Amino acid sequence: MSYRLGCGIVRVVINMRLKGIRRFHYARDLEEALSLLSAYGGRGAVLAGGLDLARSARADLEGLIDISGLGLSYVRAEGGGLRIGATTTLTDLLESRPAREYLGGFLGEVLRQVAAPPLRNQATFGGAVVSAHPWADIPTVLVALGAEVSFQDEAGRHKGLLEELWEKPFRHIFKGAVLTEVILPPWDGAFAFAKLTRSAYDIALLNCACGLGIQDGRISWARVALGATPRRGRRLPWLEDLLVGKEPGPGLWAEVKELVPEKVEVGTDRRASGDWRRAVAGPLLTRCLARAARKVTGGNL
Amino acid sequence: MEVGLKRRSAVGKNVRKVDGLSLATGRPKFALDIDIPGALVGKILRSPHAHARILSIDASKAEALPGVACVLHCGNVKRIPFTTAGQGWPEPSPYDTVLFDSKVRYVGDQVAAVAAETEEIAEEALKLIKVEYEVLPAVLSVEEALAEGAPVIHDEEDSQGIYDAAHNIAAAVDIPVGDIERGFAESDVTVEEICEIPYSQHTPIEPHCVIAYFDEDGRLVLRTSTQVPFHVRRIVARALELPMERIRVIKPRVGGGFGSKQEVILEPVAAALALRTGRPVRMALDRSEVFISSRTRHPMRVRVKLGAKKDGTLHAIEMEATSNTGAYGTHALTVLSNVGSKTLPLYNKAPHLWFHGKAVYTNLPVAGAYRGYGATQGYFALEVAMDELAGRLGMDPVELRLKNHIRAGETSPIFEKIGEGREGVPMVVRSCALSQCLRVGAERIGWDEKRKSPRREGPWAYGVGMAVSMQGSGITGVDMGAATIMMNEDGSFRLLVGATDIGTGSDTILAQIAAEVLGVPVERISVYSSDTDFTPFDVGAYASSTTYVSGNAVLRAAQEVRRKALEVAAGMLGEPAEHLELADGKVISPRTGKSVTLSEVGHRATYVADQKHIIASASFVPAESPPPFAAFFCEVAVDTETGIVRVERFVATADCGVPIHPKLAEGQLEGAIVQGIGHALTEELLFSNRGRCLNANLFDYKIPSSLDVPDVEVVLVDSEEPTGPLGAKSIAEVGINGPLPAISNAIYHAVGVRLTRAPFTPERVLSALRQGRRLG
Repeated sequence: MSYRLGCGIVRVVINMRLKGIRRFHYARDLEEALSLLSAYGGRGAVLAGGLDLARSARADLEGLIDISGLGLSYVRAEGGGLRIGATTTLTDLLESRPAREYLGGFLGEVLRQVAAPPLRNQATFGGAVVSAHPWADIPTVLVALGAEVSFQDEAGRHKGLLEELWEKPFRHIFKGAVLTEVILPPWDGAFAFAKLTRSAYDIALLNCACGLGIQDGRISWARVALGATPRRGRRLPWLEDLLVGKEPGPGLWAEVKELVPEKVEVGTDRRASGDWRRAVAGPLLTRCLARAARKVTGGNL
Repeated sequence: MEVGLKRRSAVGKNVRKVDGLSLATGRPKFALDIDIPGALVGKILRSPHAHARILSIDASKAEALPGVACVLHCGNVKRIPFTTAGQGWPEPSPYDTVLFDSKVRYVGDQVAAVAAETEEIAEEALKLIKVEYEVLPAVLSVEEALAEGAPVIHDEEDSQGIYDAAHNIAAAVDIPVGDIERGFAESDVTVEEICEIPYSQHTPIEPHCVIAYFDEDGRLVLRTSTQVPFHVRRIVARALELPMERIRVIKPRVGGGFGSKQEVILEPVAAALALRTGRPVRMALDRSEVFISSRTRHPMRVRVKLGAKKDGTLHAIEMEATSNTGAYGTHALTVLSNVGSKTLPLYNKAPHLWFHGKAVYTNLPVAGAYRGYGATQGYFALEVAMDELAGRLGMDPVELRLKNHIRAGETSPIFEKIGEGREGVPMVVRSCALSQCLRVGAERIGWDEKRKSPRREGPWAYGVGMAVSMQGSGITGVDMGAATIMMNEDGSFRLLVGATDIGTGSDTILAQIAAEVLGVPVERISVYSSDTDFTPFDVGAYASSTTYVSGNAVLRAAQEVRRKALEVAAGMLGEPAEHLELADGKVISPRTGKSVTLSEVGHRATYVADQKHIIASASFVPAESPPPFAAFFCEVAVDTETGIVRVERFVATADCGVPIHPKLAEGQLEGAIVQGIGHALTEELLFSNRGRCLNANLFDYKIPSSLDVPDVEVVLVDSEEPTGPLGAKSIAEVGINGPLPAISNAIYHAVGVRLTRAPFTPERVLSALRQGRRLG
């Protein structure tokens, strides 16, 4: 099934933009994929869901290496966390039992708001990580969750925090590496996600993910990330620090709302101005925090 | 009619669409679904500059590229001014366009065209064409265009029909009725609103596409996705100086047009490439070209000033429209005219009117026909002003409309004053159920209760707003539609129409009209539309004309065929034709109870006695353009912290006369409303400070999906138009005029600020809220 889909995408891709493609490879294992990537010396690309390839205009690409046969489509629960294979589609993830059980179905809450169903059927979770568009929702969520990734290049296996990887020239890294797995850690608390868009299938004008732990009526830990600012999702350490030890509730949210406009780093692109992003970041974050807090307390806030 | 149509058998029923099954099963029905062996691919080189003179073009490298068949440009194609606007003759749009000009007037303008063996070669060839430009100062707004000493966009000497080329004015109107100054002086209350609509695009799912090829006799055939096959034939003949009899235009199924395919854009290019190479040529715009280089809605600023008496009776209306027609003046005059002609008659109680305006050239994409055709722009301002007036008078907005709207038996001087680029014709409205539409809609949405107490839930403020609109049904004295119906020997019928089904379902509706008159099920009518060689003339699918104009032609042809069939049956039954009845595929004598089937009638006429083909053609030219009416009610939720607006409910009630096919009529209304919601909330083309479009794709330019609109609740209110085919009027356009003002008025009800610049983006709404608060 994936092989057929892959070929379909290749045809579309070649017809649309990637006019330099000469060869299509169906990699049998990771080593083969890596040696092919290396052999192309930057003129080959890994094909998983193919959506971002279809949108790119890389006339320099000569070969596509399909990794759908590497056994990387899986979702596994492990110690309260989650391991997600790189070629798992967003739909498969959304519908998988381990994902539904992780953090009370938080991933479902997010993924139902990502793109449209036909795109989610094709897009892979690994693709979302490798492309990591600044406007995308998944990076914001993964940063908040403290996700790690595994990837392999000719030098061997690597593992690291996504938050740190995205601060490096990660696109260059993935020209010679294959992402294999995304690891989501366990959390004792709850997360919520919120985004502002112009239409249901629009990319975010601003998005955020917030996680809270609450003990004895006070916030014990906080993870907050804001994305599409228009930069890629990043944590807001000042806000996380401010929240910890406080009592969640309208008073705290009002305090946050007051502080956000002066603290938050936002900018202008053609979809929204920095002024607007600054004005709405507070309401977006506090609504998301309030929802996370309600999830922890069972709706008592 | 004497055939007892009240007992309707085919009309008023939701019959299966005649093309439904083949479309649903993916039969190859669209323009590019067929392969013509040996076809070249045509591509267009477009201008990177908003305004520039072409000093030289060197196509030698492109021509030398293996696989390139020809390159056309201003150096090797004769200069013939024409208009791309597919309208009736005499053409009201200026002849200000030539196929390949030595000047470009917007980013995306046509510079050259290539025909090559493959798309890749054609694209490669485009890159090899060397064009030397002298870049000229560009005019990127109406204000700049009208400023003293502004660069002149149309400085060529051979254009015809431009109102004032030296001042960049493509067209102008000035229609005074009564004494406007006196009117305002005598009014107890006056209000004024200025509303603005930006560039927006129709986004039909199927892009503009065409195949040009030659038949066995060497005649040029254009198989094209068009709304106007007969105008394509006439305009291509003019642009290429071809005898019209050498051209055949075939309109297959069309994947949406909304006015953008009332333009003859690709056909002359494909035809010129085919003629130069002697080979078939396929062409299609890509999505970015559809946005930039097909056509858009006319961006417009409309100022409306209303004067009313204390009791709410309108006494004076001034409407001023400033329209941006872009680089060429296609539909400039007629869209501008319709801003007033389709709106002002609705409030015919006001004796003093002044409608005036200009359509102005700019170095931006070309505006053209778009569903609503100026009325959409006009109603935005008019209905927002009416809402403001209601507030000032302390009157319910519904009551204000009830007090002022035109009624059956009434007229407006505007009908006579403004026509299609010239004077119109006097007309009395013969059917109008707008009062009932208003009452039914208000009740359905719970108007009285919701107006009294606007809801508030946290940051979300809720409000209800409404608007009304009318449109026309075809263009009086200009449109003409014709139909031919022939009876087959088995008693089935063939209906040939020039009318152009572009996805509206008009083939089905016209078949229903024929079936009704001929007393057969719709399945017994095979419809064919449209082919300039084989179907009779029709101006095409625009101006909400098909059901009314083409439908009346079908009605007349069907009546004639019916008469002829009854004559044959009379011979078989031995009774005078006028004593016979036709129903359920049979001719019956009520006196004797004897009957013959239409199959027997067809067989007899074809083979047995007094042999003849039972066939008739009829034409219809509308002497009137009966307006359909609609009332729109919506409930919105405004997020006061982010400016996001959600349309929670939308109720539309419409009077389209007798709906021939109620489901299709409802579909037209629903579709128009969804498009209107797009205008209100998201749709806007953005440009750089050099005139380059920044969001010419569906990733950045957002049209609403089913998730962005509530279930649009539509109610068709009964009325019967005496001049309509079996009581019908139009429905295609009237629905798009309502959402902009209704949503703006609902936002005002919810949060007390008026949104007068579309679309109402979160940013604009939040900014208005903050300014409103400061002001308040």
